[in-house]
Amino acid sequence: MAIDTQPGHRLDKRPSGNGPPPVIRRLVLDNGALLALVAMVILMAVLSGNFFTTTNIVNVGVQASVTAILAYGVTFAIVSGGIDLSVGSVAAFSAVMLGWFTTNQGVPVFFGVILAILVGTACGLVNGLLIAYGKLPPFIATLAMLSAARGLAQVVSEGAPIALPDSLSWVGENLNDYIATPVLIMIAMGLIAGLVLMRTYSGRSMYAIGGNEEAARLSGIRVQRQKIIVYALVGAFAAVAGIVLASRLVSAQPNAAEGYELDAIAAVVIGGASLAGGVGKASGTLIGALILAVLRNGLNLLDVSAFWQQVVIGAVIALAVLLDTLRRRA
Amino acid sequence: MSMRKSTSAVVMATAVALTVTACGSDSDSGDGKENVKLGFAISALNQPFMIQMKEGAEAEAKAQGAKITVQDGQDDASTQANQMQNFTSQQVKGIIINPVDSDAAAPSVKAANNAKIPVIAADRSVNKEKVKATVASDNVEGGKMAAKAIAEQLGEKGKILQLRGQVSTSAARERNKGFTEGLKEYPNVKVVAKQPADFLRDKGLNVTQNVMQSHPDIDGVFAENDEMALGAIKALGGKAGKDVKIVGFDGTPDGFKAIKKGTMNVTIAQQPKELGKMSVRNAMRVVDGTDIQSQIKVPVKAVTKKNVDRFS
Amino acid sequence: MEGIRKVFPGVVALDGVDFDLRAGEVHVLLGENGAGKSTLIKILSGVYRADGGRVLQNGRPVRVAGAEAAEKLGIAAIHQEFNLVPHLSIAENLFLGRQPRRYGLLDRKKMEADAAVLLQRVGVDAPPRTPVRELGIAGRQMVEIAKALSLRARVLIMDEPTAVLTAEEVNRLFAIVRKLRSEGVGIVFITHHLEEIPQIGDRVTVLRDGRSVGQVPASAPEDELVQQMVGRSIEQQYPRDTGRVTPSAQPLLRVTGLRRAGVFHDIHFEVRAGEVVGVAGLVGAGRTEVARAVFGADPYDAGTVEVLGKRLPGHNVSAALASGLGLVPEDRKGQGLVLGSSIQENLGLVTLRKATRGGLVDRAAQKRDAGRIAERMAVRMAGLDQHVGTLSGGNQQKVVIGKWLLAQSRVLILDEPTRGIDVGAKVEIYQLINELTASGHAVLMISSDLPEVLGMSDRVLVMSQGRIAGELTAREATQDAVMALAVGTSAHGANEMEDSPRGH
Repeated sequence: MAIDTQPGHRLDKRPSGNGPPPVIRRLVLDNGALLALVAMVILMAVLSGNFFTTTNIVNVGVQASVTAILAYGVTFAIVSGGIDLSVGSVAAFSAVMLGWFTTNQGVPVFFGVILAILVGTACGLVNGLLIAYGKLPPFIATLAMLSAARGLAQVVSEGAPIALPDSLSWVGENLNDYIATPVLIMIAMGLIAGLVLMRTYSGRSMYAIGGNEEAARLSGIRVQRQKIIVYALVGAFAAVAGIVLASRLVSAQPNAAEGYELDAIAAVVIGGASLAGGVGKASGTLIGALILAVLRNGLNLLDVSAFWQQVVIGAVIALAVLLDTLRRRA
Repeated sequence: MSMRKSTSAVVMATAVALTVTACGSDSDSGDGKENVKLGFAISALNQPFMIQMKEGAEAEAKAQGAKITVQDGQDDASTQANQMQNFTSQQVKGIIINPVDSDAAAPSVKAANNAKIPVIAADRSVNKEKVKATVASDNVEGGKMAAKAIAEQLGEKGKILQLRGQVSTSAARERNKGFTEGLKEYPNVKVVAKQPADFLRDKGLNVTQNVMQSHPDIDGVFAENDEMALGAIKALGGKAGKDVKIVGFDGTPDGFKAIKKGTMNVTIAQQPKELGKMSVRNAMRVVDGTDIQSQIKVPVKAVTKKNVDRFS
Repeated sequence: MEGIRKVFPGVVALDGVDFDLRAGEVHVLLGENGAGKSTLIKILSGVYRADGGRVLQNGRPVRVAGAEAAEKLGIAAIHQEFNLVPHLSIAENLFLGRQPRRYGLLDRKKMEADAAVLLQRVGVDAPPRTPVRELGIAGRQMVEIAKALSLRARVLIMDEPTAVLTAEEVNRLFAIVRKLRSEGVGIVFITHHLEEIPQIGDRVTVLRDGRSVGQVPASAPEDELVQQMVGRSIEQQYPRDTGRVTPSAQPLLRVTGLRRAGVFHDIHFEVRAGEVVGVAGLVGAGRTEVARAVFGADPYDAGTVEVLGKRLPGHNVSAALASGLGLVPEDRKGQGLVLGSSIQENLGLVTLRKATRGGLVDRAAQKRDAGRIAERMAVRMAGLDQHVGTLSGGNQQKVVIGKWLLAQSRVLILDEPTRGIDVGAKVEIYQLINELTASGHAVLMISSDLPEVLGMSDRVLVMSQGRIAGELTAREATQDAVMALAVGTSAHGANEMEDSPRGH
């Protein structure tokens, strides 16, 4: 041996000190948006006596559910370095197909739901194929789908809402005073999204592809195949969101969820994901969706005027992301 | 190489698209008479109301032996501006516009006027530029009727929530104006919350849910369209139509269903088919050189459980 | 610069560093990665503000409060990552933000004429309208130098300018540097190549752990420089007894007749267990292209690649990987690592699929394996969670190699494995190569660092013009023999060398 190799310094012991316990510290550091959410809840509770009631908290959860489920899907796209603008349209199209299958074609509700999810997945698959093999930028491919899926929803429904069978209404309703089905679905989908991102081959590949596509490819990850899986997953999540949305109204509307893709993207970004790819978490996205829901709910409770609501929502999105950026820099 | 490949792909796609469009529009041949071509720029075809208006227009055009091309503006003012430009350059004989945005439509209408193509505004007005006629439901009158209807339902006393449509549209503004004026005659009916729900059913549901938290003692809801009213009904559950009176606007098929079920008490029904027909009829009159009125009001009607069968 | 001090959260990057530069001299700044060289030049060029000490120019204290201030003081820096817009022309890049104007419009003619003069000064004969993306790395560097000249820089800072150049290009660069020196420009020159110091330098300042540990003339012997740099002596730079191994008969990797039209032709070679086969040649000779084609990262037109006698399908990374090939690409940051991800993630990338059962990744096993390999490779880190982007170059390279070790690749293709890495880390990587070959693995090593190729290879393949110009045993391989093959004996070989500067 020609040289005395220094052993690697291992500094992974936590620096001793009397800060908050590691778990809480980690949670706060990982999710800057959580602080924003807590701050907003406190602010709303102070400003309106009607905010912090059981019913209202359940309402907020229910109202966040559709955005959250859509946003979980968008998280996959954003983590893998892409974007999906079509989720609102795909949600509406899947819901309309659910109505068409169950109401117009007499398909049993259970199979109708499966078919609707398949429809959403198929839309995502088309996005994925266009992106992976057609080499279209995700922005363009999904922009095309945004228009096409919305159009198909209008075609199938002939522009009018399709009533859903009453046997589906439980999906959109509250089980009791404390638990609502949409919230349960939101949590379940969140766990699935988290599992996919953290524990599956596809999920880990999303981070690698979003972080450095060439490095991922040279490490043997089949990038194109994984991209197709990513967008198919986004489509499936969008379909579930569409089903929840339609079930709440017991009516599948071709113009439902218009503009929701922007809410979903906002939720993902507020949740700490980077539009450059490689960074993002399901828990962050959930928090992002809750922030938007708390905000909309609070503005209603405070009877803020229509015009100011838009201004406030824009400002809060900017502030939430700004806070997160500042926290990271510190 | 890949550049060339993608270029040829674009050319291919364009060619296919053109062929498809061409096949779609060239299908009918002239019927001997002078074939008058009309253009109809509709704000969006995503609501039953607009679709019915389109159907009425098409029926009237057929009856008159005219040809009508309908363009869907997809609720986007600039898309609509392009479509208007296309109509103008195609030298159609007349244009019916159902503006996405009453102000944004002005430049396109001006261009058509300069090209001496008569323009009729349907359902929504065009601001700051002259059109030959505006064919519209009487939204202000409808708003007043809604005020009267909810006051009667409540016995002239109570607290109400008003769900507002997209505040940039003239329909929302005029309905609000008529409703506010109409309510002045009923000092004991108070609007305790006035919140936007963008004419959408799911937003109507969310907003009503939220407002019920701050004002659980609401006696009535006025929604500026039926979709939002249906959302409110969903939020109110069993109370809708009974403890909380619901007044909607438009008279959509789903709205009528709710009236029959008793969950909605009144809807101020527009007659979209009639609107479409009247627009085409007046456009044809202008083409023929007949003078027409500048404001053509298509009447609205209060629909309740008693008379709903006559409408649906 | 006197007593410069700079503190980053948790680290004192510079602590009382003194540094002076005279007009018309080349002052070499030497030190291991992390010694503080980059911080020092960033303070000098206005990127960072010093926390203590002062900067003097002609005896007067000055404030370098930003890039603009540095420009006004005549200080220009050429960083390892170039500040060029690839799609714009050379001329536009040279005058970006200060294009000559006439009647408010861009005066393209004047701009291109001025650019031509500057390009001539640095010996680039490409037309000023050429888009920068069409230039090689050496060409881009010359454009950067020309840009500095156009700003009338009196102080030119060059951060490892030779790291990415071939020997020939280095010679050209040195010619330009000497010319600038004779014109009175003061040059701060950073390099890891000790042998360059006596060729180009006048004085050397050595930094270690944020302090200036000594100033010596450039003629000082290498041993002394190394000793000062690492604070210990490195007895042997290339710890390999080359040509002594008796490789097994069965080749691990056999490439026959590999061809991609216009890029490489007739590529035949074998790599046997226990061998290090070096691939030398000029940049552009097609070495990286061959490596990528063998690995399946790029397609090829004809030929075969066999691993352990089994033929691999073309353009299929997964198949290459499954057969036991591994590639450490030349562009570590751009192709080797996911910079925003943790060390653990990066180490587990290749083995991700193997660690997946029923769609789920066994993260505990991944963590265990990553920990084991990081320890074996002595990666200096705060923990497996540390982002790989925050590691030094040498430790980053260890992570790239580590992910292939985890995958138990039989044949590792290393493309410029020690580029931009300090002496200490280099030796560690060489030792790793030794361990690998001792345990029956094989290494194909592409390198533009000729001493490295000679010092580490059992056999040397020399590429020129997309062909293998010759194969040398360890004994035959000398600098002269390799260079003779590399510059090519074929007729058009000489042509290709013509883009070297004329007139000096």
